[in-house]
Amino acid sequence: MSLLQSPHWPFLIDVYFFLGGLAGGAFVFATTAQILNPRRHRDVVRVGYYLALAALIPCPLILIVDLGVPSRFLNMLFRFNVDSPMSMGAWALLGFSACAGLAALFTLLEDLRASHFTGAKRLVGVIGSAFGFFLAAYPGVLLGATARPLWIEGHALGALFLAVGASTGAAAMALILAAMGRRAADQVASVRLMTVVALVIQLLAVVVFVGSVQASGSVAATTALRLLTDGRFAMLFWGGAIVLGSVLPLVLGLVDLRRRSFGLTALTSLLVLVGGFLVKYVIMAAGQV
Amino acid sequence: MARTLAMFTDTSLCIGCRACQVACKQWNELGSEQPDWTGTYQNQTHFTDKTFRLVRFIEEPGGKPNGDLAWLLMSDVCKHCADAGCLNACPTGAIYRTEHGTVNINQDTCNGCRYCVSACPFGVVSFNEQTGTAKKCTFCNDRIHNGLGPACAKACPTESIQFGFRDDLVGKAQKRVEALKAMGFKNAQLYGADSNGFLGGLNAFFLLLSKPGAYGLPENPKLPQKNIVTDSLLAIGSAFLVGIGALVAFRGRGGKEG
Repeated sequence: MSLLQSPHWPFLIDVYFFLGGLAGGAFVFATTAQILNPRRHRDVVRVGYYLALAALIPCPLILIVDLGVPSRFLNMLFRFNVDSPMSMGAWALLGFSACAGLAALFTLLEDLRASHFTGAKRLVGVIGSAFGFFLAAYPGVLLGATARPLWIEGHALGALFLAVGASTGAAAMALILAAMGRRAADQVASVRLMTVVALVIQLLAVVVFVGSVQASGSVAATTALRLLTDGRFAMLFWGGAIVLGSVLPLVLGLVDLRRRSFGLTALTSLLVLVGGFLVKYVIMAAGQV
Repeated sequence: MARTLAMFTDTSLCIGCRACQVACKQWNELGSEQPDWTGTYQNQTHFTDKTFRLVRFIEEPGGKPNGDLAWLLMSDVCKHCADAGCLNACPTGAIYRTEHGTVNINQDTCNGCRYCVSACPFGVVSFNEQTGTAKKCTFCNDRIHNGLGPACAKACPTESIQFGFRDDLVGKAQKRVEALKAMGFKNAQLYGADSNGFLGGLNAFFLLLSKPGAYGLPENPKLPQKNIVTDSLLAIGSAFLVGIGALVAFRGRGGKEG
């Protein structure tokens, strides 16, 4: 019998991990498009920066509500503790919020034809992308730095969470761009390709994670892993996260690269979003049993 | 730092009276809680936000030197690790190390994120719903700063729980292990006494009559934060791949941009 205790982080924290990753991914892709080819990818940049801010806004609220003493949330920012991924994450969230807010503001001013801040927008984009990657990845590293058997023995949770942030960020952008109709048709292709690439990295990271837990030889960790592979969460893991959420959209996405149909893009994107959420959800749930 | 203080719990002397558990509750005003039926005399199955000392009652078939069933008793407590996972994990600095080497939670700054609960390799740190903060053994911080030993050690009628300077206690404990081995307790061993061992040594260490696993203790507990560097490097690798993908996906092919 294990003596370990569970933090009992609620469902809302899974939602935060999902939204934070999605925001980070969308921001990074908007910045890449902005720097490489802003004219061709004008809507990619707009959608990416607006989406990043929209996904980000609930995040601090979720984290504050979840605290035992919400009025003390600022205590997180009285300390800079490199040993604690949660401390670093709080700072990254602060930094990313500033960048996401500024990037969305610059984009809005451009949309209103008020003024252009090309240089400043690029600078904010580059700095914010570093924060964005961090925001997407740190929850995985945070879980790895606990005593929970499934998390401490698995070695690619940070990599996996970052890849999920990338795939869900790209999928959400593809969904919105596809809904914008013909004017963005050419730009959807780029985002669709990004989704496919991110899905491949995501699947690789799942393999490394499962493999490292298996290889650890820890009885407690492999027992927890079995909850995913043939236990309580097997349906959600194999059926939801892997088959419907990663492999099927990967195949559909590859088909869609040539077909370019709105229906296919929308379906692929929705599957990626649901699958990405389930990847994080089952890892959180199985790790806390 | 002053000389490190420690508690040495010699489980071979424990008679299971739970005076330590009661004294802890009284001194720290922990209050009552719903009893937990475990099928033995043990009450609470785990540490809770109101149980900082917990006497474990364990039956081990064939555990006695003559092959009979051994009834293992262990008064368990926060280990006050030299490398403490909870302290490293704390994002607010509420968990701190005292000048005596013990680990404490500042109830006025803890904001209840529960990261420490997940980071303790021994399941000690518990969350209190009423205060919204994390709770655990304080090593009777108020008492040791006023020349008194911890309440549990004071109450123990058999000196199973001893309080003192760590180096003194480790010497005593080593002699006691030798004596027990000579008496036929071949599995008698110290747990956490070695400051070069796991977690840099425990400031509340134990003498066990069987393997740690028999008590549900991890044989070789790991510091949770040991993964941070590897996991971060893998995450950077993943970010690198995503970045390359983004450069390919959003490259300026055929664009009209100048």
